[in-house]
Amino acid sequence: MLSPELSVVLLSFVVLGLDLVTRRKTAVWLTALIGLIIPTLLTFSLIYNTFGSHPRTAFYGMLVVDNYAIFFKLLFMAIGFGVILVSYQYVEKYLRATPGEYYSIILMSLAGMMLMGSTGELISVYISLELTSIPLYILAGLSRRDSRSAEAAVKYVLLGAMSSAILLYGMALLYGATGTTDLLEIAAATKNVLHTGNLLLLVAEVFIFAGFGFKISAVPFHMWAPDIYEGAPTPSTLFFSVGSKAAGFAALLRVFVFGGLTGANGTYLWVMVAIVAALTMTLGNVVAILQTNIKRMMAYSSIGQAGYLLVGFATLIIHNTVVGDEAMLAFLFVFVVTNIGAFTGVIALADATGKESIRDFDGFGRGSPLIAGGMALCLLALAGIPPMAGFLSKLFIFYAAWGQGSGMTLLVILGLVNSVISIVYYANIVYRMFVVEPAKREFFRIPGAVTATMAVSVVAILAITVVFGPLLTQAGIAAASLFGR
Amino acid sequence: MLLTFIVFFPALAGVIIALFPARLTKWIAAGASLVVFLASLWLYFGLLVKGSPNFGTVIDPQWYISAPWIDTTAGAFHFHVNYALGTDGLSMPMIILNGLLTFLAVISSWHIDKRIKLYMALLLILETGVMGVFATFDLFLFFFFWEIELIPMFLLIAIWGGARREYAAWKFLLYTLIGSAFTLAGIFLIYFETGGQEASFQHFAQTGINLVGSLPFFGTTVSLSLVIFLLLFAGFAVKIPMWPLHTWLPDAHTEAPTAVSVLLAGVLLKMGAYGLIRICLGFAPGGATQFAPWLGILAAINVLWGAMASMAQRDMKKMIAYSSVSHMGYVLLGVAAASAAGSVSMSFRQAALTGATLQMFTHGTITGMLFFSVGVLYEKAHTRDIDVFGGIGKRMPTLLLLFSVACFASLGLPGMSGFVAEYLVFTGSFATLPVVTILSAFGVVLTAGYFLWMIRRAFHGPLNMKWSWLTDATALEAFPLVALALVILFVGIYPAPIVDVLSPTVNQMLQHMSGVVH
Repeated sequence: MLSPELSVVLLSFVVLGLDLVTRRKTAVWLTALIGLIIPTLLTFSLIYNTFGSHPRTAFYGMLVVDNYAIFFKLLFMAIGFGVILVSYQYVEKYLRATPGEYYSIILMSLAGMMLMGSTGELISVYISLELTSIPLYILAGLSRRDSRSAEAAVKYVLLGAMSSAILLYGMALLYGATGTTDLLEIAAATKNVLHTGNLLLLVAEVFIFAGFGFKISAVPFHMWAPDIYEGAPTPSTLFFSVGSKAAGFAALLRVFVFGGLTGANGTYLWVMVAIVAALTMTLGNVVAILQTNIKRMMAYSSIGQAGYLLVGFATLIIHNTVVGDEAMLAFLFVFVVTNIGAFTGVIALADATGKESIRDFDGFGRGSPLIAGGMALCLLALAGIPPMAGFLSKLFIFYAAWGQGSGMTLLVILGLVNSVISIVYYANIVYRMFVVEPAKREFFRIPGAVTATMAVSVVAILAITVVFGPLLTQAGIAAASLFGR
Repeated sequence: MLLTFIVFFPALAGVIIALFPARLTKWIAAGASLVVFLASLWLYFGLLVKGSPNFGTVIDPQWYISAPWIDTTAGAFHFHVNYALGTDGLSMPMIILNGLLTFLAVISSWHIDKRIKLYMALLLILETGVMGVFATFDLFLFFFFWEIELIPMFLLIAIWGGARREYAAWKFLLYTLIGSAFTLAGIFLIYFETGGQEASFQHFAQTGINLVGSLPFFGTTVSLSLVIFLLLFAGFAVKIPMWPLHTWLPDAHTEAPTAVSVLLAGVLLKMGAYGLIRICLGFAPGGATQFAPWLGILAAINVLWGAMASMAQRDMKKMIAYSSVSHMGYVLLGVAAASAAGSVSMSFRQAALTGATLQMFTHGTITGMLFFSVGVLYEKAHTRDIDVFGGIGKRMPTLLLLFSVACFASLGLPGMSGFVAEYLVFTGSFATLPVVTILSAFGVVLTAGYFLWMIRRAFHGPLNMKWSWLTDATALEAFPLVALALVILFVGIYPAPIVDVLSPTVNQMLQHMSGVVH
């Protein structure tokens, strides 16, 4: 049952070792890339094993493999594939790190992320969180000649450690309130023994939410995101923005839903999440308009997207409905694909010009029309413009929220306002790429791996629009397995 | 199948354009848009060959195709979006209009060289979006297609436009997007209030009628139907455009290149009116009735304000833009009168609404022709300022003839389609909204005032020797003008075919409404 994660860890060691043996960077990269097929196949075999039966658990319930866990394992495989694919030339040109180190660290973190969705017990949540985060700290600082990268890494370590501490404190309080760390037993305790208004439980829930809030860059735990996104090397930023966020949500939903924390204190939790969602959306979108560095702008855009996801979380909490969970999972999936595409464009720009500010996108549409077109599609998908899948995922999250009740209606209206605000900075990039004439006309040579990643992202975004129904069904199955215990 | 082809083939052609060299682009675009136009004509003729044609109604559309696209149920929660396309009497003329104007727009863009591949690709993707809006029979799919046209139009204005193109493009984008956010809220509201099972037009046409009820609103109660109507209407009002949400239009129309102006005025504005009639009137008729008096007043303001602003302009294109605002007021007037309360004979309401829908079609052709004419002149003279011209009709007799035809059609000269539409609107509206009808009828005089005055100042009189080098319109330039002139004259002299398409749908819609209104 642990086979996918174990194979990823093994692959990471293999890649690291291969780097010592060979001088050919391509071999290392290809091994990492193709090696990911093995964990994917093992994950599919897990699907086969859990069909029709109740979720499998291991280690006295510390590890749970259900449809939800498998959904996230597959999502993280896709993330790993995308990140490794796009960073081929960037690693050589800008990182001056040996590629084997880079890929093996990514794979380590990936293993931790895959575990985050599969945890059944508080301590294993923490273990997988650390396994995810510590390689990310290293990844942030991997650009050795760049002082901003080192600064980003240090900030990340400090803030990450602090948030882990808060999370642990919340877990300790939860243990104190319920007498167990097993999520299923916590769920039973909150349903049967603890009552709404239990202060210890409430404080524990707030602390745990705060700890995870850092990972998903919710306001007011978002301050790390812009600086670290800007300072870290761009493929690492891509990995943070999609992987860390998806992992954070995976664990958040696991603890709150599977662990039944929404059973007690439902109204308080809902109000808190709704307020955080409103703040996150608004702050992310409004501040993004003012940015001049593309990576900072993408950081704030990710904060805004996390806000929409939290609207889905509020939908989930208010009446304990599956549909909120389903909407969040579908949105996460589309967000991952879209963000990979958008960051591929940023990497392409960095590859071509070595620069990172929004002004440097001027005339990019002339220099490399395919990449610029793909990036435009991805950015517009993030804004929620059809026919990209981002429109449907956003529509569904708002739609699910609206159907819940009066308070959620206001949140949806705020979300719609934010969608309009977000078009300002997304369309601004498209505008710069296609409308503004560049200072000098030049055609960029974009590396093949970057073009390939962009092509895959664009095809995926448009294809998901067509098959959005099946995606929702799969997300629904994954969500239901979190509830039906 | 035919509708799927009509809706998606332009976008496919746009993608294909990217793959071929630039010298083939215009031919591919022209060929594709011509094929789509002929296919849209077949929508009409294909039904005609069946003997007694039934052009469809909202309950029972023609050329119908419906396939489940998104179908998810989670507990008590449903989300069904069907890929549902169909035509009825209201949407068929619009689809044909879009096909015609896009084809003519491609022809009139023949002289453009700057980034022609991107230009034609965006034009064709725009056509797909608009075709989808007119052809869809599912509410969420409607909104899906509604948003597609935003970015192509934004880029078309921003890249190939005039001096203030960036300002105009951003204003257009943000204004329209804010309006459509309101429309989305309205769509959510109407969906959940009618049970939240499915979103097809047939479903809403049958259950939406029963949308009475009230919402608590800060202490007072507001009719639910009115709230839904207003939310949905906000987005459509920006597009129509209705005063006071019209301020994006003069900038966008003036700064856009000719072909884009034609599509903006000829087709995109009709999207708003179509949404008003189909969705607001069709699914929230109670709210429409309550709002009708106000809508009538706003329509009269549209007509008069637009006309007077038009009279003050020196830039020809801005004048035509404001006249667009003014003439869309007739559509609003017809809709307001048809839904207003009052015990009048149904035939008056039918006349008003038929006139409004006919005005949608005729206004598209007439304004299209006006913008094409100005485009020809601007292409040669590189200015649109009326006062610097004088007597250029001596150098450009063909353009003078065609421009005059367009102006006369616009002011409603009998024998041209504008007269038919305006006559129907005024006669029908006088029964329920007499005062605003009289005020709006004055718009006819004002239209004559500014257009004929413009023609006299620019084209007639002694030739200003500064312009003696001007050449007349070439055959390629005159082709769109002649084509539209023929359509205008045909509908003006023999409007029966198009009125026969519109009437059954309009009548059926009004009969459904009367269950709530009376």
